[in-house]
Amino acid sequence: MRCLFTNHIGNAFQALKSNKMRSFLTILGVAIGVASITLILSISQGATDIISRQVLSLKNNLIVIRPSSERMSFDLNKIQQDKTLSNLTESDYYSSKDLEHIKVAAPIMILSGKMESNNRSQQSSIVLTTNNFIKTANISLLSGQFISDNDSSATAVISSQLATNLFGTSDVIGRTIQTRESTFTIVGVIKKQQDPINYNSVDFNNVLITNIKNNSLINSGSLQFQQINIQADNINNLSTVAKNIKNQISENHRGETDFDVLIGNQISQPINQVLGVITNITIAVAAISLVVGGIGIMNIMLVAVAERTREIGIRKALGASNFDIVSQFIIESLILSVVGSFIGYLFGYVLSFSISIFLNFKPVVNVNIATTSFIIATSLGIIFGIYPAARASHKQPIESLRQYE
Amino acid sequence: MGNNNEQDIIIKLKNLKKSFGFGETEQFALNGIDLVVKKGEFITIMGPSGCGKTTLLNILGLLDSPTDGYYELNGVPVEQISDRKQASIRSREIGFIFQSFNLIPRLNVIENVSLPLTYIGVGHIKRLEKASAVLRKFYLNEREYYFPHQLSGGQTQRVAIARALINDPSIILADEPTGNLDSRSSHIVMEELSDIHKRGNTIIMVTHNPRLTSYASRVITMLDGKIDIDRDLMPKKNSNKKRPLGKSSRNNKRKDDK
Repeated sequence: MRCLFTNHIGNAFQALKSNKMRSFLTILGVAIGVASITLILSISQGATDIISRQVLSLKNNLIVIRPSSERMSFDLNKIQQDKTLSNLTESDYYSSKDLEHIKVAAPIMILSGKMESNNRSQQSSIVLTTNNFIKTANISLLSGQFISDNDSSATAVISSQLATNLFGTSDVIGRTIQTRESTFTIVGVIKKQQDPINYNSVDFNNVLITNIKNNSLINSGSLQFQQINIQADNINNLSTVAKNIKNQISENHRGETDFDVLIGNQISQPINQVLGVITNITIAVAAISLVVGGIGIMNIMLVAVAERTREIGIRKALGASNFDIVSQFIIESLILSVVGSFIGYLFGYVLSFSISIFLNFKPVVNVNIATTSFIIATSLGIIFGIYPAARASHKQPIESLRQYE
Repeated sequence: MGNNNEQDIIIKLKNLKKSFGFGETEQFALNGIDLVVKKGEFITIMGPSGCGKTTLLNILGLLDSPTDGYYELNGVPVEQISDRKQASIRSREIGFIFQSFNLIPRLNVIENVSLPLTYIGVGHIKRLEKASAVLRKFYLNEREYYFPHQLSGGQTQRVAIARALINDPSIILADEPTGNLDSRSSHIVMEELSDIHKRGNTIIMVTHNPRLTSYASRVITMLDGKIDIDRDLMPKKNSNKKRPLGKSSRNNKRKDDK
């Protein structure tokens, strides 16, 4: 049995070699599909890793509370709603911020608005939070100071990018900015961020941060938070604190667990739903190219079967069983797809590493991606090889022999 | 003698029919064949084109299945044999020689000859050794690594015969083995077949050439899908030297076809 198998492999290689151009093009089809999937997976995981690193830099004692939602939702409308509609309320924040072992807590409410100044305007995010926010986020100030909880006047901190866009300079402390029919005095400027994405789901290169107590921006009476960041006093207390928070908010929500309390690596997972959706869509597009590659395999195998009908007849006359014929053709299509996906896998990494030169994060190399592409390859080979192989084997030997006679 | 007779029978056909087409266009290539073949016989099947010779041979070789009738091979009704088992019988017990040689053009001589061995699970080295040994018998060992298109017609057919013999089959089925060959090559091929017969193998050969019947122990003439004439020939003078199994056919001539 074993030597029959090696014989099939030898046969398959020989058959593929005798049609080099055809095999090459088929392999190329599969390789492109697998390369694009590898590229997307490694880059998107690389993006996810950035957040992991940010969380790590906060000494791992960060807890994040978010309203729960389907993590990989394709519904873009829903995501936009989530930006303004959240089930984390003021009472959730106040009831949990003074629990044991909590060092600081900062609620985050995200709005967006048109920033206006000096006749220039730009759309940007507005973050309403407290002074504690700077301790739970990975941002630092270029100049000035962060918003204070005791400020009576309307103050704001803006990103240096936004400052440059609106005022032409990042030296903007003391100047005023208008948005949503309110005027803010700028007290601080945030340094340019290297990481474009973070666990706060806010682009800190295009943001205005102001105190949540200054609620002139908020139309409705109640506050709704997209996220609450909490820092525990010690990493050892992290899970206890998380559990206490969970119980507390659960009580507030009358037992409904419509929120997530995330620690450690969990924080980095559902970072930005838009990122997840984009990844899924691009994977779907890449999957289409994989299916096209698979159909290419099937096409070539059907041609091979038609071309070698006589050979099949001879082999059957000499004692090959249907199973032998099926194995021969399945192995041939498996070789096409496995070689194709191996090349695609390597090529995908070459691409993602060359793309990452222009991005500020590294693509991820891990076993998952390799396993994914291997599974894709073998299933491609089997699925698209089975029909031609079955067709080849079910011919009566004499019918196959009569071909081209 | 009667008992002994039963054991010697390897092929038994009763009212075998094969038709092509349906309804009004149905045509019978074989229209009721009754035949008993014993071990060690050398049968030639003659007849005009389209009388069903090749169809009969294909059915005997399990390459085709009959529409109707009874076929028993080595005491087992073929109907009851599974596809898988039939494949195994084709590889172990039947050697098929085709008019058009049917070598696989992609494979070289030795690979072609060793092909039947792969399907009974013989290892690569052993396969090549055995194929080489068979090729030596046919004086083709210098051509082992030639490809079929590099050989002459006679050589190609000898390779095909070598391939048919590699598993030591008990039955050799030859469909006009000399049909594509010139007279010198066909003489060589026939001498070889005759030699195989003398070693105790059963041979059934389809031919157009009446001169080749001189090698046979029994000549069947077919007409319109039926057996027209079936006669045993006196064995050749020198043939009893090396033929231990041919005796029975000589002793039972003209009695075996009921």
